[in-house]
Amino acid sequence: MKDWFISLPGPMAVKILIAAIVIVVGLVALFFFYDWVGTNLLDSGGTIG
Amino acid sequence: MEVVRRVVRIIGWTSIVAGVLILGFVAQQLFVTTWFAQQNQEALVEEVETHFEAAEITEVEYTPPAPSTTTPGVGTTQPPGEVTPGAGGSGTDPGAPLVPKKRTILVESTPEKHSAFAIIRIPTIDRLKDGWTVVEGVSLRDLKNGAGHMPHTPLPGQPGNAVISGHRTTYGAPFHELDTLNPGDIIEVDTALGTHTYAVRETIIVRPTELWVTEPRDGAWLTLTTCHPKFSARQRLIVFAELIDGPNWEAIYA
Repeated sequence: MKDWFISLPGPMAVKILIAAIVIVVGLVALFFFYDWVGTNLLDSGGTIG
Repeated sequence: MEVVRRVVRIIGWTSIVAGVLILGFVAQQLFVTTWFAQQNQEALVEEVETHFEAAEITEVEYTPPAPSTTTPGVGTTQPPGEVTPGAGGSGTDPGAPLVPKKRTILVESTPEKHSAFAIIRIPTIDRLKDGWTVVEGVSLRDLKNGAGHMPHTPLPGQPGNAVISGHRTTYGAPFHELDTLNPGDIIEVDTALGTHTYAVRETIIVRPTELWVTEPRDGAWLTLTTCHPKFSARQRLIVFAELIDGPNWEAIYA
């Protein structure tokens, strides 16, 4: 993680901004993935057909 | 030695990341989805109230179907519609065929797709004793908001088989404790027409593809469907309930 952060381009402020964007995008993607897995495996809503 | 240490470190970090991801999944499914669903409920209750005020209510002629004895797969004796002897209703010809008497029932305008139009309440289930909104449609989006009414089936309170589906474990899990219902337990549905009261007749478990549970029935029925067992979409828990009171009960059953 530390190496990845240091390897980001630009000054410290830009590094922090890029890291924040990557984390937010990652969390949103993870949220949708969780939703997809949950809907298909745990609870599809109980519909018939 | 260095290689072993490195392998152990990789396994350790992989386990930690996997654990965090699994915990995150559980938290998202159980708590985050439920939080969103509960937030939505307040807005949806307002939508239901707006629908109650705006819905058009009309009287339509209703002819009960010819008397039948059972519904396949349910084993419940159906209350036959009222019959009068003879087509002319004279009652003097014992050999004349039995013809159902025509009546009128109240019908509300079809709600818009994806909109909340009713409230389902089950007094014996804590989660549902104050009610949960019912939206028109059973898409994934619809069921994230509330219980969903299957569009091609009649609205609650109408003759036939009104089907409502709901989540069992996520998105507020309105039907979480549906398996605790016993025959005779009451289910109430508020629509623009008023409150329709149903009594549970039977609970069964079927495969998700068993469409017969949604087929039309004599009388007025409410069929609730949800996932079974809990935390699995492998099967469906089905609750059949029959109308025992409400604005249309007399016209359908008396």
